[in-house]
Amino acid sequence: MRNRTVAVLLGLVLALAACGDDGAEEPTTTATTAPTAVEGGTVRIGWGGAPSSLNPGLGELTEDYSIYELTYNTPITLDLDGNYVGELAEDWSVSDDGLTWTMHLVEGATFHDGTPLTSADVKYTLELYRDCADWCVYMSSYFDGDEVIEAPNPATVTIAKSVPTGSFEGRMVFMYILPQHIWEGVDPGTFDNAAMIGSGSFKLVEHRQGEYVRLAANEEYWEGAPIVDEVIFQTYENADARVQALINGDVDMVTEFPATAIPTLEANENITVATGEPLAPDLADIIFNVTDPANCPAEDGVCSGHPALRDRQVRLALAHATDKQQLINTLLLGLGTPGIAIVPTGLGIWFNDTIVDYAFDLTEANRILDEAGYLDTDGNGIRECPAAMDCGDRAELSFRMNFPDDSDTGPRLAQTLADWWEQVGIEIQIQVLDPDTLTSVCCPSLDYDVILWGWGSDPDPGFLLSALTCDEIPTGLSESGYCNPDYDELFAAQAVETDLETRIGMIHEMQQILWEDLPYIIPYCALSSEAYRNDRFVGWVDTATKLALEDPSSLNVIRPAG
Amino acid sequence: MTRGSLFLRKALWALVTILVVITFNFFLFRVLPGDPAKAGIKDPRLSPEMVATLQERYGLDKPVLFNTGEGGLFDSQYFRYLGALAHGDLGTSYAYKNQPVSSLLGSALVNTLWLVLPADILAIILGVLLGLVAAWRRGTKLDVSALMFALFTWALPTFFLGILLLFFGSHYLGLPTGGRVTIGLDQGFWATAGDILRHLLLPTLTFALVLLGEYMLIMRSSVVEVFSEDYILTAKAKGLTTFQIIRRHAFRNAMLPLVTLIALNLGFTVSGAIQVETVFSWPGLGKLTVDAVAQRDYPLLQGAFLMLAISVVLANLAAELVYLRLDPRVTEA
Repeated sequence: MRNRTVAVLLGLVLALAACGDDGAEEPTTTATTAPTAVEGGTVRIGWGGAPSSLNPGLGELTEDYSIYELTYNTPITLDLDGNYVGELAEDWSVSDDGLTWTMHLVEGATFHDGTPLTSADVKYTLELYRDCADWCVYMSSYFDGDEVIEAPNPATVTIAKSVPTGSFEGRMVFMYILPQHIWEGVDPGTFDNAAMIGSGSFKLVEHRQGEYVRLAANEEYWEGAPIVDEVIFQTYENADARVQALINGDVDMVTEFPATAIPTLEANENITVATGEPLAPDLADIIFNVTDPANCPAEDGVCSGHPALRDRQVRLALAHATDKQQLINTLLLGLGTPGIAIVPTGLGIWFNDTIVDYAFDLTEANRILDEAGYLDTDGNGIRECPAAMDCGDRAELSFRMNFPDDSDTGPRLAQTLADWWEQVGIEIQIQVLDPDTLTSVCCPSLDYDVILWGWGSDPDPGFLLSALTCDEIPTGLSESGYCNPDYDELFAAQAVETDLETRIGMIHEMQQILWEDLPYIIPYCALSSEAYRNDRFVGWVDTATKLALEDPSSLNVIRPAG
Repeated sequence: MTRGSLFLRKALWALVTILVVITFNFFLFRVLPGDPAKAGIKDPRLSPEMVATLQERYGLDKPVLFNTGEGGLFDSQYFRYLGALAHGDLGTSYAYKNQPVSSLLGSALVNTLWLVLPADILAIILGVLLGLVAAWRRGTKLDVSALMFALFTWALPTFFLGILLLFFGSHYLGLPTGGRVTIGLDQGFWATAGDILRHLLLPTLTFALVLLGEYMLIMRSSVVEVFSEDYILTAKAKGLTTFQIIRRHAFRNAMLPLVTLIALNLGFTVSGAIQVETVFSWPGLGKLTVDAVAQRDYPLLQGAFLMLAISVVLANLAAELVYLRLDPRVTEA
């Protein structure tokens, strides 16, 4: 109650102050620019996108998942430091043979309509997701299909498998538990889920496609109700408008903005800018076509990669001719970390931080190429393949480089790389392609030399690592055509390893192999920045490894300032 | 030829145009590089079975034009599309799961009309007035400054003008930075109406300023031309006042090129004010179309293009009708 009074006072002060600026403006209308203060406890968040579906089986955008996190619970969740912690599962364990997982559920969890959440709902949901391959987007990929799910009593769920899995926790973090009594009466594949009955700390009030999502605190939340009354996510398509909305006080927090806006925002004493690893870590990658002709997909393969790119020495020289820190400084204004292999730095325990990366050294790069026999015999500044190597009609080290037209950083990244690589005698021909066309030259056709692209990651690195196995070349998941039996062996072993430490060791070793073999150069993993009004709400969790102010971890605990 | 049969002929041509556009739209998206099937189904994690299921759901497993296999000659994507269209079914959006394209377009159209119509009307009224005054006071400082103003706003990139107005309007006038309404205001009808108006102000002003220049320039040049005609001299000799000359003689004769322009602009209304809507996060058709391009939502794009084509054709038809009314010579053409 005290907070509300202060908030009203603050609102009046703001309204009066605004009147002072411009006498013609009516106080009542000016007050609406500071609605949070007047209404008390409504957090307004400005973001660039909008959810595409309220049905967790159909969602594929980050914005979808942000809303699911607030309205649903999962058995296990990932805290902002990257540790798996129980949410609906009080504890979980695996049998000695590694085949059966048992979860005990917390007491008192209820859905927004008052129905208790029991193991029957968990069993129903997991079975729904397991068998949803013909309608859902991602959910079925977290199952192998052999899971037998049982609910022996209302507080216990068991999942029995025929082969062990090493990524059980990672699979559970997106299992938004749905109320069986609602979902069993509908066709889940076409259900719009407009009421969005879940068990999370916030309830859906209103959703307008492409405009806003309005959520109210779940006063009955089993883990304790949030302090604020309401959370509104409003779409501001234009990044400059989003920044201006925060400065103006139309919103209390913005989830994304260009790095160039940081100095402006930091200059404002009422605004705090926070930086951290993104909740869903991503990475940029420089992909080399290393496909061995023997592995070229029989059906779709073109495999036109430059033969010299299959030589590790050439890729090593290119790695020495790539200044990752410089790229981070210019492209991301410093907001990034250099990558090593296909596991993003933001994955915490899974990222191998013991590898000391190749130094940026153009002299060394030139030396490596000279030594490997790539010499500029005709004096045009571009090296040629050694005589002993069959490069066909592509004797010169002249590579095509493609990147997608929806990439902000693509043009500058391509140009910077081309400048460096030219200095070691390698010519780059840059071509921008739309993502569909890029996919069609990429994989499984492997009809390119170098692609600049990127990946977003699950909390578990298993999926990204699978993109470099031999088996995935014909499926099109493998972008590089990379094939190394040692790597595949480790991949198969980690997939069924239930001991966390052992599995971490294997995954670190896989990164070591990839770093040495260089099918990819990972220039950087971008950090994310968000900013909030510190004069509106306090208590934002902005010091953890990961930054997600729109996550329940912040929204459940923030309170009005004052 | 009588006016009635002339109109019928024009209407028939409009119908044929729309039919051609429907066909062109359909094939346009299918000859572009990249497979619409893969665009809707782009996740590499999907199993081949799932891709097949999705293709079946979107009807992408059928041949494009003629089905020479089982199911009959006309069981193809094109004829299925025509059939659905005849029932008013524009298909289902890829990006907005399970939502019919027609309902997505419908709600966006309403928002767009709210923004674009007032801006159009404002631009027409101000542009025409400014053009008239400039023409009447040709060569004076007033004319030169009106001309400069019109050229400046016309030449200014829309998004740039929008951002400028957004910064100044929100900072100095306390106007909202975007959106259609203050969400969760819940203060009754009048407060909400006022709130919507406040949200409308900046985007409408931006769009009106951008359109205004064109109207002003066209109006000015055609009035200047009319003023050099002999009948204006006669009117002056008869002793008519300036106002009477403009109203009875100059204005009506200068209207023809203006009607063309208004019809063209109104026709493009449904394409929305793409840049204005993006800057001000206005959930209209322009923004929807841009999103559809970004997400490669082919059914939605197809629907948006169809709507745009129909409205341009109809607006042109309306312009023809107005011509018939304004200019008796048109029937002889």
